[in-house]
Amino acid sequence: MTDHRPRPGRHFTDQAATEDSQAPRLRPGRRFDPSLEQTPVDHSQWDPDQESLLEASGGAAADAGPGAARRPRHGLFAAVGGAILLGTLELLTALGNAWTSADLLGLAWGGLGLVILLIATRTLISEVARARRLDRHDRLREALARLPTATADDITESTRALARHLSLDQDAPDWQALRDALEPHHDGQETRDLLEHHLMVPRDRAAIRLISRMSSETAVMVAVSPLTLVDMALVAWRHLVMVNRITRLYGLELSRLGRIKLWRQILHDMAFAGAAEMATDTGIELLSLDLTGRLSARASQGLASGLLAARLGLRAQALCRPLPFTDATRPRLGDLRRKLWQRLRRLDDTA
Amino acid sequence: MAVFSRQRLQHEMSNLIERSRDRQLRLAVTGLSRSGKTAFLSSLINQLRHAGVEARLDLLPAAREGRLLGARRVNQPDLEVPRFPYDQALKALGNTPPRWPSPTKGISELRLSLRFRPRRSTMLKAPTSTLTLDLIDYPGEWLLDLPLLQHDYDSWCRAQAAHRGEHREAFMAPFQDAVARLDPAAEACEDALAEIAERYAMGLKQAREAGFSNLQPGRFLLPGELAGAPVLQFFPLNLSKAEQQSCRQLPDTSVYATLAARFEHYRKQVVTPFYRDHFQRFDRQIVLVDLLGALNAGPERFEDLSAALAQLMQSFNYGKRHLLNRLFDSRIDRLAVAATKADHVTPDQHERLVRLLETLLAEPLKDLRYTNVPVKAFSLAAIRATDVREVHDAQGPSLALSGHSLGGKACLFFPGDVPTSLPDADFWAHQGFNFASFRPRPMTSTALDHIRMDSALDWLLGDKLQ
Repeated sequence: MTDHRPRPGRHFTDQAATEDSQAPRLRPGRRFDPSLEQTPVDHSQWDPDQESLLEASGGAAADAGPGAARRPRHGLFAAVGGAILLGTLELLTALGNAWTSADLLGLAWGGLGLVILLIATRTLISEVARARRLDRHDRLREALARLPTATADDITESTRALARHLSLDQDAPDWQALRDALEPHHDGQETRDLLEHHLMVPRDRAAIRLISRMSSETAVMVAVSPLTLVDMALVAWRHLVMVNRITRLYGLELSRLGRIKLWRQILHDMAFAGAAEMATDTGIELLSLDLTGRLSARASQGLASGLLAARLGLRAQALCRPLPFTDATRPRLGDLRRKLWQRLRRLDDTA
Repeated sequence: MAVFSRQRLQHEMSNLIERSRDRQLRLAVTGLSRSGKTAFLSSLINQLRHAGVEARLDLLPAAREGRLLGARRVNQPDLEVPRFPYDQALKALGNTPPRWPSPTKGISELRLSLRFRPRRSTMLKAPTSTLTLDLIDYPGEWLLDLPLLQHDYDSWCRAQAAHRGEHREAFMAPFQDAVARLDPAAEACEDALAEIAERYAMGLKQAREAGFSNLQPGRFLLPGELAGAPVLQFFPLNLSKAEQQSCRQLPDTSVYATLAARFEHYRKQVVTPFYRDHFQRFDRQIVLVDLLGALNAGPERFEDLSAALAQLMQSFNYGKRHLLNRLFDSRIDRLAVAATKADHVTPDQHERLVRLLETLLAEPLKDLRYTNVPVKAFSLAAIRATDVREVHDAQGPSLALSGHSLGGKACLFFPGDVPTSLPDADFWAHQGFNFASFRPRPMTSTALDHIRMDSALDWLLGDKLQ
């Protein structure tokens, strides 16, 4: 039987609270000898090549938010590494045997096996290295999303990490413009605005241009292509290329595994988040009904696949951009749609 | 028949539309004495004059995107309001050694015409637009007179008697002596009244010198063009309610009746016209506060500043039932409050400065929020006088300010932490604050260096530069 009597009040000795009331001590002013060693606090001294804490493996941000820390699969790596090692040993002993027994065929097979193992090892290593870049990208995104409330050190850290991520060097014009604009007194939100303007906006513009061009070309291609099966293959190929280009634009070089991960995320977003967005993006159904009514059947097919490409591109852009979009800066599908429509109308009219 | 080309027609149309659109803004700058109004306005004009060339206005999107083309001074429309002495201010800053501009005494005005490219130029918009910006500078003390509108002479005398602290009373001693010897029923003697009024004004001025802010009537401190006029020669009498009753029967020539008449005149002819002719036409307002000076002056002055600011902010708190709204139709649609002289503390203290300002103005800000007036708090330095350095000594790295004291001595120090709320008495007794003053840096041909002027500008006029 549980006891349901009301519990009596209790007194706690509030050690922490009493200590805390004395804690916010205000530091008094201090005078320094002007001849003392001093360095100006100036962002123009920043060196983007300097490694930041964010990038160091297992850095401070690694245990940041939910979903950030993906447990590395030690078991899997151990199994694969062990298999390679054992395979090498096995092959080496086999080679030794083949050599002593002068078995030429066996020697050739052993050599081939070794070469294959070498290639496999190299691929594995580069995959692992690139997979870490994706993790780093996630960490960077989180750090940048926290910018408005960050401390001065975190701001410096994140800014540097972003510059490195975009592989900017000391002389890159946008990096120089950013350094000129940044002042030591800028807080997180202000820094974010400046990063957005100097580093993200030019890349956004390029990305939108790319998406717009690729999607309208896809649309035209589908509209004029005579074979549906070939269309589908071509469209899929073009989508792959477009997403790859967008990732590279935002400084993200992906491994095969990473690409699969990214595609999974893009498709997931398009299926769920994207659906909600489309519903809010009012008028799209109405407009497209109206448009398809005025276009030929082929052109409207083209329009549909062009729109899909544009949506895919925007999704990929939103996922790859190190600084997450705000509502004001997010590019809209509507702008791209208008361009697509104009292009197809021209095509239809000439046909 | 005249042939209009399509382009020409479009041009005419866009001109018409520009003119019919609201492309004018009256931006008012106020603050109590020595809060940095003159420096703020000088810097603001300077930044806008240099905008698009070498002014660093990165937090103002129009400037950052290169759409702000520049500004030009044009003739102001109000011919009876003095022009803001921008050239004198720049001359003072350009002196060797540089000086802070001398403070302005009353209301002054300056009109700028801003040229900018609209964010999206559509068919009906011209490629460039113009925003006419009227800058008005007036003493915050004048806003402290707002409560006078609710008073008559008797209730004002009682109110004045109510908030006298022991410190302030000391300044008023010569005045109290004189007023004790004055018989309210006697025939009014012009010279005697002028003399007592002078003592009263002296008392107020001394109190202000000592750091008090909540002083009424405001024109006694900054008379502007009214210096020496009889309308400023009145003062409160120490009378009980019963005495006041009996005094009402006195003839018009008596001391009491004269003082009451002058008070009434001041209320009707000095306070009201300011609200009617100027205040009611402001679109945007920024209130400057010198928090560091108040912290230096100690807890009593700080409390007094808080009371004065609460009083001052009343003028912007124009809910539907508010006095101001019943009298006039105010139209300020955006308000900024700014802690000035942010360059006198290290950058890590700026956020604390804003928090202290918000704590200080907690009550007025709540009221403003309730009446839905958008208001934002800033910490800024209109003209930056210091550099931030990192100093390494035995205690490790530390941020420090480097600059020149008012006397011209090079100094390097950490000015101490800014509290986020008012510390207790114990702290004042043991530590206190000592934020030093700096002299401005030598002028260069480029725009004045500043801290966060651009973000204040964005708040005050960014939406008109779209």
